[in-house]
Amino acid sequence: MNAAAKKLRTVFVLAPCVFMTAMLLLPALNGLVLSFDHHGPSLGNYRILLGDPMFWRALANNLLVPFGSVIVEFALGLALALALTAPRKRSALIETAAILPFAIPEIVILTLARYIFMPRGYLNGAIAMTGMHALPWLSPRSSLAMLTVIFVDAWHVTPVVMLMLMAGLQAIPAELYEAARLDGAGTLATFRFVTIPMLMPAIVGALILRGIDALRIFSTVLVLTGPEGVPVLSTYSYSLWDDAQKPQEAMAASMILALMVTLIGVGGLLFARRYSRDNGALK
Amino acid sequence: MNGRAGSDTAGPGLAAARYVLNALVVAGGVLPLYILAKQSVTPELETFAWPPHWMPHRLTIAHFASVFEVSELRSAILRSLGVAAISAAIAITLGAMLAYAMSRSPITRSTGFSTVSGIRLLPMITVAIPLGIILATLGIYDSPSGIGLALVHAAIAIPTAALTMYASFAAIPLEIEEAAWIDGASPLRIFLTVDLPIARTAIATALILCFILSWDEFGFALLVQQTNRTLPPLLYYYTVFGNVGPASALALLMMIPAVCVVVALGSSLRGALIAGTSR
Repeated sequence: MNAAAKKLRTVFVLAPCVFMTAMLLLPALNGLVLSFDHHGPSLGNYRILLGDPMFWRALANNLLVPFGSVIVEFALGLALALALTAPRKRSALIETAAILPFAIPEIVILTLARYIFMPRGYLNGAIAMTGMHALPWLSPRSSLAMLTVIFVDAWHVTPVVMLMLMAGLQAIPAELYEAARLDGAGTLATFRFVTIPMLMPAIVGALILRGIDALRIFSTVLVLTGPEGVPVLSTYSYSLWDDAQKPQEAMAASMILALMVTLIGVGGLLFARRYSRDNGALK
Repeated sequence: MNGRAGSDTAGPGLAAARYVLNALVVAGGVLPLYILAKQSVTPELETFAWPPHWMPHRLTIAHFASVFEVSELRSAILRSLGVAAISAAIAITLGAMLAYAMSRSPITRSTGFSTVSGIRLLPMITVAIPLGIILATLGIYDSPSGIGLALVHAAIAIPTAALTMYASFAAIPLEIEEAAWIDGASPLRIFLTVDLPIARTAIATALILCFILSWDEFGFALLVQQTNRTLPPLLYYYTVFGNVGPASALALLMMIPAVCVVVALGSSLRGALIAGTSR
């Protein structure tokens, strides 16, 4: 059985990996080569980027927005996970409502968010009803627009974080809580010394996955503010390609994003590996 | 003692916090749907009214009618369905192979896992722009059938498909395979006639997830199908150019598959949803 089965396994692992590599990695490598093509091989495209103030704004935003978004979705996701994991208060309705934002296609969420946050949108309508001043939620280049983008981005993926953390919470043995209670630990102490340490592997895993996704932010920014309102590297690259018709510069910008994601992602994975080795909790 | 979050021993403060949280959840999940539904059945003039109307004053079905009458919209719906179906079919075929191989040996597991993790690090924009050039060379860039997009969607869905099916294959006892081997079945035949039927629930889940992943995908669709659009980029253009009514009607229609699945399958989809995030 072994030789034939081994051959099958090899074919079975190679076919999908080759397909993914051909469709995703090879184009990216081709883009890498083209990004060094500026009337012949040179660093010209990158030099142009470094001289463009919009590039630096996109780069800074590409760190700030994902950071903010991950913080917001973890705070909300953890709160929801804790609330929904308490068995007695469990409600199918609330749970479904909590998952709903994720089930809705991202583009639909963003379309909605646009109607809610636009200058004469529903949010300002509600604010006006209370007699307060309407706010320019999406005004280009404002820090308020950045906060709005962060909030909308987090709103959509909070359910994912919640589900990841719920899986972690449900894996904590009930005996630990029982023991903590017998030892006289209160709600806060139990949370601090039982829940959080036991949940750490789930938190680390979710942070890495969500962090990588958050760095690739594209559609939230594009739909809410257009490519220049709160530029990030993806939308900056997109507008270089689509509006400015400068594909090589666009690819150079996208390579810087890829480098950033790779560095942070590999760093995160190495950290997680070391963490799991030291704690023996993650597989 | 409910144990998990230590909450039923907590005071009224925590209970109040939970009610606020629940209210926020319902507001965050349900209110937007209401707004969308309202906009899709009211005249556009009313949508742009200030202050905004919270209840519809006049009703119209014009926007839904336009979804089926305007040929651009109709063909986008068909294209989205086709792309999602083709990409899901490819992704679960290759994904099942990958999941099976990964579940049977540590070497294939680590090969598969590193490829999947590596692919995950690639931003959409880094792949999409040069991929457009390659598809153009092959003559399938922006094709009316959306075949180029279907291939990309298949590639990004394979990790989701494989991770969804992996646990099911790993749970199949090797003794069952050995029994079939002794009866003279080849490894391929064992995979097809023994393992696949046992893992059918996971395969169905993976199929649904891959379909939805493609149905929802915006970035690649925007760049690879520039004029022959699928639904997400079409919705984007409708929104950006102020066609509120059709945009809202289209948005509601787009939600149907995903919302049905989540409401119907609910908790059994959870693990799979976690594996299936992508941007």
